[in-house]
Amino acid sequence: MKDIVMEKEQKKLFEKFNDLSLGRRDITKHSSKDLPKYNYPVNNLVSAFHPSKMEVVVTKIVEENENTKSFWLKREDSEYLPPFKAGSYITLEVHTNGRIYKRPYTISSDTNSLKEYRITIQEEKNGIVSHYMCHECKENDKLTIYGPFGHFHYSLIRDSSDIICLAGGSGITGVRSMIVDLLRTKKVSSIELIYGTKTVNDILWKPEFDELAKKNKNFKVTYLLSEEKREDYPYGFINEDLLRNLNPEGKTFFVSGPVAMYQALNDVFVKMDIPNKFIRHEEFRESLETEDVETYELTIHQKGNVTVIPCKSNQTLVQSMEEGRFSAPVHCTVGICGYCRSKLISGTVKTDTSALRKKDVDLKYIHPCVTYPLSDIEIELP
Amino acid sequence: MEKFDCIVIGAGNGGLVAALTLQKKGKNVLILEKGLAPGGVATSFRRGRFEFDASLHELCGYGELGNKGEIDALFERLGIESKVEMMHAKEAFHVVDKLTKDEYSMPVGVDNFIEKMEEYVPGSRDSMTTFFGLCEDIQDALSYLHSEKGAIDEKDLYQKYPNFVQLAPYKVNAVLEKIKMPKKAIEILSTYWVYLGSPIDDLSFVHYASMVYSYVLYGPAIPTYTSHELSRVLENEFKNAGGTIYYLSEVEKIDVEDGEVTGVQTKDTSYATSHVIANLSPKVVYGKMISKENVPIENCQLENERILGARGVSIYLGLNASCEEIGFHHYTYFLSNNLNSKVEYKKMQEVFHGNVVGVVPNIVNKKASPEGTCILNLTSLIFGDAFDKLVNKENYFDVKEQLADFLIRSFEETTGISIREYIEEIEIATPLTFARYTGHPSGVIYGYMAKGYDNLLPRTFSEEEETRIKGLRFCGGFGARLSGFSSTYLNGEDVAMKTLGE
Repeated sequence: MKDIVMEKEQKKLFEKFNDLSLGRRDITKHSSKDLPKYNYPVNNLVSAFHPSKMEVVVTKIVEENENTKSFWLKREDSEYLPPFKAGSYITLEVHTNGRIYKRPYTISSDTNSLKEYRITIQEEKNGIVSHYMCHECKENDKLTIYGPFGHFHYSLIRDSSDIICLAGGSGITGVRSMIVDLLRTKKVSSIELIYGTKTVNDILWKPEFDELAKKNKNFKVTYLLSEEKREDYPYGFINEDLLRNLNPEGKTFFVSGPVAMYQALNDVFVKMDIPNKFIRHEEFRESLETEDVETYELTIHQKGNVTVIPCKSNQTLVQSMEEGRFSAPVHCTVGICGYCRSKLISGTVKTDTSALRKKDVDLKYIHPCVTYPLSDIEIELP
Repeated sequence: MEKFDCIVIGAGNGGLVAALTLQKKGKNVLILEKGLAPGGVATSFRRGRFEFDASLHELCGYGELGNKGEIDALFERLGIESKVEMMHAKEAFHVVDKLTKDEYSMPVGVDNFIEKMEEYVPGSRDSMTTFFGLCEDIQDALSYLHSEKGAIDEKDLYQKYPNFVQLAPYKVNAVLEKIKMPKKAIEILSTYWVYLGSPIDDLSFVHYASMVYSYVLYGPAIPTYTSHELSRVLENEFKNAGGTIYYLSEVEKIDVEDGEVTGVQTKDTSYATSHVIANLSPKVVYGKMISKENVPIENCQLENERILGARGVSIYLGLNASCEEIGFHHYTYFLSNNLNSKVEYKKMQEVFHGNVVGVVPNIVNKKASPEGTCILNLTSLIFGDAFDKLVNKENYFDVKEQLADFLIRSFEETTGISIREYIEEIEIATPLTFARYTGHPSGVIYGYMAKGYDNLLPRTFSEEEETRIKGLRFCGGFGARLSGFSSTYLNGEDVAMKTLGE
């Protein structure tokens, strides 16, 4: 390559610089000597939307029915809780039995009232946290929460403007928040809610839904009972006939409820040839039913420390950590959020890798919150 | 207190390469990362049945067998070349001028590129040939420059690489005009300017030429399993070499005594070290991580002068039909309102401007998403603090959705390809999202603007002089080689070698 001959003037200019730092020193000579600014409005918004954790106080407890209570939570260190999209959940941290437990609960309150969040908890059989909340937790108690998190939301761009919500039992909580939000903001043309419970007494917020249906011509609610026959209520579970009657083509389903409901509906959706795009559902995982319970050793490496605790074949590794008084990093508990993602160093497990990144599956990463041990296990936590 | 030879703050591209380089040289290195995964923005995330790359469009400088590029050569030195699976695009880029609706598809390979340009712009051949000749000279000079460990002898450099030294002070447009490149050819050739985040009258010719050359010579490359694959492999190699990495460990303070680094502190732990490599913005480091009395005034002055680079909005779309069904034919679509970078840059100071880069990984990588689906990533850069001024707690979710809607519409209108009906998954990242995961001021993703005094060469030549706290160096997108995947990987190694030299 032959030289590019520069014009005399340009050459002079270069010689004047005399160094290749192009006058960098001169340019900064007169600038401010203050410490540099690093926090911009966007950085401040990060703290408003995503605080690492929040201390809250229970301001009010409402008994919704005999086994369900709502809890109103107010932030202690700030007037407002983070804005959230309807359908989001928080992770609630509870200290009981000398142990620490974390569980996700969907926010059931309105997106436009951020002084308090409401979570609604149904007592579950053998549920440690739901039992604690429904029986031990009192007004003015202090709790820690994380979030809000989740992807079970309505999207104007992705979803149809006609939506069908299928809610079962306490799965109504996030759906309630979503319906109120969508009716208020007028983002959709129509909402059809099918809300299944065991009995009439299990229906949450019936007066509110009835009132909303009365005020909004584009909102319709049907209550479906599975364990009580009543003249004015349809009986049974959500099935193919019922869905076909809703003219589902081109409408988006929002599904939230117990595991059995997802499984049954999944088969129906496949049979009806409804594309994935039109089915949004709350995340869930089946729990493992097993007769024989084996106990193994779980070795945990974290930041240079090694902890060994027992783990049981019928419990997830996160549950074993809770039992073993090891503070587990966990938010969603259903293998989605990635917060507990760990490297499996040794041992065999039964796990679900469907939400892991492909390279992480190759390199034997797991989500301990959905992993059951089949031998002694050694993992490295983040 | 745990003691390390070197502590790297942040497991971004630069941090990972710096840490791995030092660890392989027998040093005992600790990486402290505030997040949960390696790579910084070089990561991926899952939504439904899709895995989206958070940031990588294409890697430049990654050669193929028998044609070694700078990045695969680096990966070979690091021992990870055989552990990553890379794929190459056959087309360098496809640009659509929104104004005239003209489209230009530029191929990979220097000769092909020159021929194609001659087709689009008759009479451009000579200047294009000169351009690529200069590129070669520059590439050689840069390799020499970065392999020198100590201060650089400018006379020696001038002797060896006269073209390089003569061109060093000039901007892209000045040189291209000088070699009499036709205006249209300049516009097409400068398409990549958005990847460097400065218009061509601000951008150093040397830097731009070296990047374009890498793309055209080797073709843009992507990893099979997203940039997370690269980050995970780097992290794994570092751990296998005996390195230590702690996640969820945000460094709050760098201890400095008598002008020398003595350690770092997280919220609950102190570590001793005499060397820190910071893979983050010097604005943050000098602004809050070092006690005021230990911050050199000259560094404050420099930081107060430097201008933050581009912020970005990225829309990740999982589509439930194949490329053929939808009608995607190109890997990278550059959609410009105006091919003149100066005019376009001005417009991009607004949030809603419609300059979009669309990437369809499935065109290059069949494994990018499940069969019968594909991914489209739309990215739009914002210069300045318009996004900071626009958003608040009340409107943020709505602004996000409006932006996604606007960018999808821009893409559809410009390319004539309709995508909306296929959207199965959508995620939207804004400067707020990037600020959340990186901690960068204003959520900037392109480091600092490559303004005259803050281009590649001034940064490189001033690095030693500006290292005023002994043992504290910077790597990554705010570092000497500027931002971008290839730059930050290479810069990580440079900084490690300089640290080793101490």
